[in-house]
Amino acid sequence: MRAQLMRRTLLSLVLGLLFLSTPAMGSCLDNYQELLGQLQKQADFMQHTSMLLDHYISIQGLDKDGLKEHCQERPGVFPSKDALQRLSRQEFLQILNNTLGHVLHRLRTLQKDIPKAQDLEKLNIAKLNIRGFKNNIHCMAQLLPGSLEKTEPTPTGPGASPSPTPISDAFQRRLEGCRFLHGYHRFMHSVGQVFREWGQSPSRSRRHSPRRGLRKGTHRTHLSSRNKRLMPRGWLPR
Amino acid sequence: MALFSAFQTTFLLALLSLKTYQSEVLSEPLSLAPESLEVSIDSARQCLHLQWSVHNLAYHQELKMVFQIEISRIKTSNVIWVENYSTTVKRNQVLRWSWESKLPLECAKHSVRMRGAVDDAQVPELRFWSNWTSWEEVDVQSSLGHDPLFVFPKDKLVEEGSNVTICYVSRSHQNNISCYLEGVRMHGEQLDPNVCVFHLKNVPFIRETGTNIYCKADRGDVIKGIVLFVSKVFEETKDFSCETRDLKTLNCTWAPGSDAGLLTQLSQSYTLFESFSGKKTLCKHKSWCNWQVPPDSQEMYNFTLTAENYLRKRSVHLLFNLTHRVHPMAPFNVFVKNVSATNATMTWKVHSVGNYSTLLCQIELYGEGKVIQKQNVSVKVNGKHLMKKLEPSTEYAAQVRCANANHFWKWSEWTRRNFTTAEAAPSEAPDVWRNVKSVQGHCVVTLFWKPLSKLQANGKILFYNVVLENLDRPSTLKLLSIPAPANGTELTLDQCSYQIRVTANNSVGTSPASVIAVSGDPGNKEVEEERVRGTEDGFCLSWKPQPGDVTGYVVEWCERPGDPLCDLQWKNLGPDTTSTVVSSDAFRPGVRYNFRIYGISTERIPYLLEKKTGYSQELVPSDNPQVLMSNLTSYSFTLSWKDYAAESQPGFVRGYSLYLKSKAARCLPGSEKAVLSDDSICCKYKIDNPKQKTFVVENLQPASFYEFFLTPYTSVGEGPQGAFTKVTTPDEYSHILIRVILPMIFSILLIMILCYLKSQWMKEKCYPDIPDPYKSSVLSLIKSKENPRLTIMNVKDCIPDAIEVINKQEGTRKSLTETEPTKPTYLYLLPTEKSHSGPGPCICFENFTYNQAASDSASCGHVPVTPKAQPQLGLLTSSENGPKALGKNYVNSLGEIPAGETNLNYVSQLASPMCGDKSSLPTNPPEPALCSEYKTQMAIPMGLASPPSITLLDEGEHDH
Repeated sequence: MRAQLMRRTLLSLVLGLLFLSTPAMGSCLDNYQELLGQLQKQADFMQHTSMLLDHYISIQGLDKDGLKEHCQERPGVFPSKDALQRLSRQEFLQILNNTLGHVLHRLRTLQKDIPKAQDLEKLNIAKLNIRGFKNNIHCMAQLLPGSLEKTEPTPTGPGASPSPTPISDAFQRRLEGCRFLHGYHRFMHSVGQVFREWGQSPSRSRRHSPRRGLRKGTHRTHLSSRNKRLMPRGWLPR
Repeated sequence: MALFSAFQTTFLLALLSLKTYQSEVLSEPLSLAPESLEVSIDSARQCLHLQWSVHNLAYHQELKMVFQIEISRIKTSNVIWVENYSTTVKRNQVLRWSWESKLPLECAKHSVRMRGAVDDAQVPELRFWSNWTSWEEVDVQSSLGHDPLFVFPKDKLVEEGSNVTICYVSRSHQNNISCYLEGVRMHGEQLDPNVCVFHLKNVPFIRETGTNIYCKADRGDVIKGIVLFVSKVFEETKDFSCETRDLKTLNCTWAPGSDAGLLTQLSQSYTLFESFSGKKTLCKHKSWCNWQVPPDSQEMYNFTLTAENYLRKRSVHLLFNLTHRVHPMAPFNVFVKNVSATNATMTWKVHSVGNYSTLLCQIELYGEGKVIQKQNVSVKVNGKHLMKKLEPSTEYAAQVRCANANHFWKWSEWTRRNFTTAEAAPSEAPDVWRNVKSVQGHCVVTLFWKPLSKLQANGKILFYNVVLENLDRPSTLKLLSIPAPANGTELTLDQCSYQIRVTANNSVGTSPASVIAVSGDPGNKEVEEERVRGTEDGFCLSWKPQPGDVTGYVVEWCERPGDPLCDLQWKNLGPDTTSTVVSSDAFRPGVRYNFRIYGISTERIPYLLEKKTGYSQELVPSDNPQVLMSNLTSYSFTLSWKDYAAESQPGFVRGYSLYLKSKAARCLPGSEKAVLSDDSICCKYKIDNPKQKTFVVENLQPASFYEFFLTPYTSVGEGPQGAFTKVTTPDEYSHILIRVILPMIFSILLIMILCYLKSQWMKEKCYPDIPDPYKSSVLSLIKSKENPRLTIMNVKDCIPDAIEVINKQEGTRKSLTETEPTKPTYLYLLPTEKSHSGPGPCICFENFTYNQAASDSASCGHVPVTPKAQPQLGLLTSSENGPKALGKNYVNSLGEIPAGETNLNYVSQLASPMCGDKSSLPTNPPEPALCSEYKTQMAIPMGLASPPSITLLDEGEHDH
């Protein structure tokens, strides 16, 4: 168990560094399929609760009967799979980018309730992964027509990540953190499925086909009214 | 009377009323009651903070007062706390007092009231309580909000082992609430219908992130909880100490103890306070703090280190004189100068420590990792030390450290320097030995020398000089220079009378010479080899002292005896020595080592004195001999194992054990019973003489089965157990029979050969030829008388009326029919009246080798016989026809078979006329086998078979 955890940690670190390296080198993958494959794999990897949630539950002592049942995703915090599937590709990337920005912000908050340095390691690796994933989203957005600027790596603004009501109560805070992470893993699972659908039907009618090597989009695609409806306060309902 | 009584009552009441009024009016200006009482709460600390003032004091008046405070819970009548608080009060001063509740304040309504009294000796007349203030109510529950459930206290921080009270407040009467501590249900005490209290005693530390306590309603998804942060006990600071390195800064250090918890609320703070100067500093680090020494040369310091966290405060004190806490800096500018082969000088400087700096410096000299010299030196500023008695060409390390000479506190750190002394000429002659062989008239001398030790070499040995001096021609010298690191050389000399000098040389000079001589006379007279016993410490060798002049002895041996290179070793010993112990890590158990002891003459010529051989540790024999058995008789046999190499065994073979197994219960003389490793019992012969390689096992029983096994043994034990060899002694009389029968057979054969060689003579003597009547002289007489009635009867003229066939087994001849059980032979003899014209006699022969029946019942039919065959019957006694018939492949007719041998005829399985196959009947079959019949070996139904028969048929029957 411990060895498996270690392997996963290492793999996670390598993946994180790999994805981070792409923007750091100032270049994105030109190959749509390859980039899509990377996004799929990373989403699949990040959906595992062992990457974050299990560890959080353990260090916060929430792994008790009668308590862990309350660690369920709160509706409305993360977009549902159906909602994600209804989005155009550009919209999907936009929402994904913003959502992950919020996750990063929330992870920084959760970090304050973890006193031990070695317990923070998982959280830091998860943050690295998310940053790398966001950069790949940016690269993917560049391969899609008309959505270049929207998915630039953005600091999580209030529109995209409304600050949750501050909770002074440590117990409620850790329960909320647990629910949030649960939702995050579920969300990444849905994201992986959507990317898989991209790979299976690259030219669905509502979706834009990738433009290989086209880097400089000239027009912006604004979020549609459907998208706006889906994302009150910057968030999508389930 | 009644009127008087009513008046009296009215008067008393009026008087009482007046008295009461008087007391109130008189006391009011003197009452110092607390006023403006305000109560606030601190939920986190579960504290009630009270503040009030006393207004009725005169201006600038200060009085000591005591305030009695009452606190009630839930209802005012339930007073849970009463305390008297004494303080000095000024006019309009705001007084404060706090009370910490064990129960979270949110769990119940609290009320507070107080009263005051002067407690001052100046005004003893005012020592009475004022009136109580009104009850001040503290009700936090009302401001909690509308959540259905609350649990308190929130995020409380306690030390491990504390007692904590927890409560929940439920807004619904219908819900059953259950509460858990880390998943374990708690049982509490109902304070009121909506509030339940739980008392936790001696709470443990579970994890850094705190202990989860939560409550759930049985209906709905309501869960509320708290985190109880339990810290470990904040340990006292240990090893608090302060010192200075330069009299300008004090460095105080301490061991902070284990972390009380990793919560940010529990981070400790450390404060350093010096009481003489009254200065205080907040330390930035957890384990050390710097304190600036003021320039006014304060000597004494009294420090208090206070460590505190949210829950606890701990202090330690330290009083010291600054000059007694000087920890000097490490010496600097350290050099090792004037390094010769045996001397070196070390110099250094020290940092000055104030004006009173006389430092004590310690110098240590290290050689090969050990301290070899240690010296203390007093130093003001510059230090110097001469290191003597050093070894040439040796690496050394010198280090120096210093401490305050007047008040020792601590040594400074070491400052270390490495250096190597210069080389010197080698101090010792190399230890030389030789091996002399004579090859094709030349003397081949192999010289060996041991490398000089580091102490002897005094530097790096560059080469060895070998000087050869012919003792017969002393003026002839030969020099060989052999570069290091060679440890020997081989010299081929024209004769063996040389003196050899070997010297070792380094860059500085030459060592003393090692002298050894070789002589033409090898002097290796035959010396008896003795056995020595090795021990763990080695071989203890001793030898007889030599009567003549001996300059010393040399013991020589090979560390790898089986190896051609041998790894020759030697040991030089003084002339007075007659014993030594040879030990080596190379000695292995079970290996035989040979030692030679030489005496060294005054001419430096070695001559062999003794030979020794032994094992450092003997082992059991590794293999058993191949035993050959011979001379087997009914009573004994001889065993021999002459090829067995006892010398190659891992121990001295002391003898042999012969194990003999037999069915006899008792062991034979000379043997004793022994139990083998497989628990079988046998007899054991012990052969004590290791040189004995044969053994006769005697007193055996004839025609008996024995098993034997021979194994050698050493002092440790016997060889491996092997397989037993089986032997059976012959019968007692068989040899006698052989002695009798063999000569008899030989004699018979001899007689037979003689008979054969003399057969003609024997025939003539024993059975001469029967005279032919036709050739008889009698005939001539008859003819001459012409008597026609007188004739000789011809056999043809006789008509046989019966033939007797005798069936007789012949024991010595083997045939297929012989192996079969005797079967009846059928012979039909035809009537005599037909015999002259019928077919000839016929023998029907069935081969019973095979079980299949004959192909046809008629197959055993009658085979026609030519009339010519019949007369042959009359020749049954003719010996001449026998060999002819045997040479044919078919069955002889009965006429050809000698009497008594009818059953011995073998029927060939090759093709021949078939019995019963009339179409293929030969019209003129061969004469001797006219009526032969046989059956083929084909598989034929049994029902078609006919019994074998021998039938004599006449010609007529055969023709139809």
